[in-house]
Amino acid sequence: MKIIIGSDKKGLQLKDTIVSYLKELNFEVIDVSEGGDKDFYDASIKVTQMVLEDVKNNKGIIIDEFGAGPFMVADKFKYIICAELNDEHSAKMTRDHNNANVITMGSGVIGEDVAKRIAHRFAVAQYSGGRHQIRVDMLNKMC
Amino acid sequence: MKVAIGCDHIVTDIKNHIKEYLENRGFEVVDCGTYDFERTHYPIYGKRVAEKVVTKEVDLGVVLCGTGVGITNAVQKVKGARCALVGDVAAAVYAKEELNCNIIGVGGRVSGIGMIEDIMDAYFAAEYKPTDENKELINKIDNLIDRTDYIGDDHFFDEFLEKWDRGEYHD
Repeated sequence: MKIIIGSDKKGLQLKDTIVSYLKELNFEVIDVSEGGDKDFYDASIKVTQMVLEDVKNNKGIIIDEFGAGPFMVADKFKYIICAELNDEHSAKMTRDHNNANVITMGSGVIGEDVAKRIAHRFAVAQYSGGRHQIRVDMLNKMC
Repeated sequence: MKVAIGCDHIVTDIKNHIKEYLENRGFEVVDCGTYDFERTHYPIYGKRVAEKVVTKEVDLGVVLCGTGVGITNAVQKVKGARCALVGDVAAAVYAKEELNCNIIGVGGRVSGIGMIEDIMDAYFAAEYKPTDENKELINKIDNLIDRTDYIGDDHFFDEFLEKWDRGEYHD
């Protein structure tokens, strides 16, 4: 599993923190926005496209000031299931129930410690499948 | 103001509360379901709400499920929908002012009723502030999806529902 991370300038500091943290935990991390991209759109496209190269295994994290813009961009791609996250509970549940493969966070919304916990939970939590798969099949038919 | 609202079976009671809350503020609310607590599937209701918004049958939309993630994903996958999933007022206001967010999502098992009401107040009070920069971003977001063929297709998910009825999805 590769974790692909990108950000704009406003998410840069938090993104760099998350990159270092996940590397310390020995995850394979690819930073596609060194120095921060011009805007959330460019960062989101880069992360999303790289996740789609191996959508069953790769995961993506996109950070800007609020997380809302990257959420709107990433989710427009077929086979991307993206979660705009503020809390650790949703980070676990969205892997478990939705099989989310991308998350977005806002540097203006959450602090470093919560962001690290969200990233870690998202990285380790597993998808349950079963009854949840019908909903994922429905989403994947769209776009 | 006409607002479409949708949810899954996990948070129907919260959806009903928000519907009443918005009606008490003078909005006309179109309830897209689900209407009870029987197990169902969030994409059905997210798609319905988004379609009402992008076809201008209503002005704006509200969606919720347990975390809000599932139903907002169905919303986003309709061309023209721009949805934010929020747990705080700041992101809701930003999304409306800067990205003309037309559907707001919340997690009924994540945010409390007080916070959800506060988000609703802030989201509906905020107004889009167009700039050349954000107009270009919105245009790029809206153009990421080409397909419009499933808008209004109430049988789009039938193949999966039939599979479900045959017991092919099980834990």
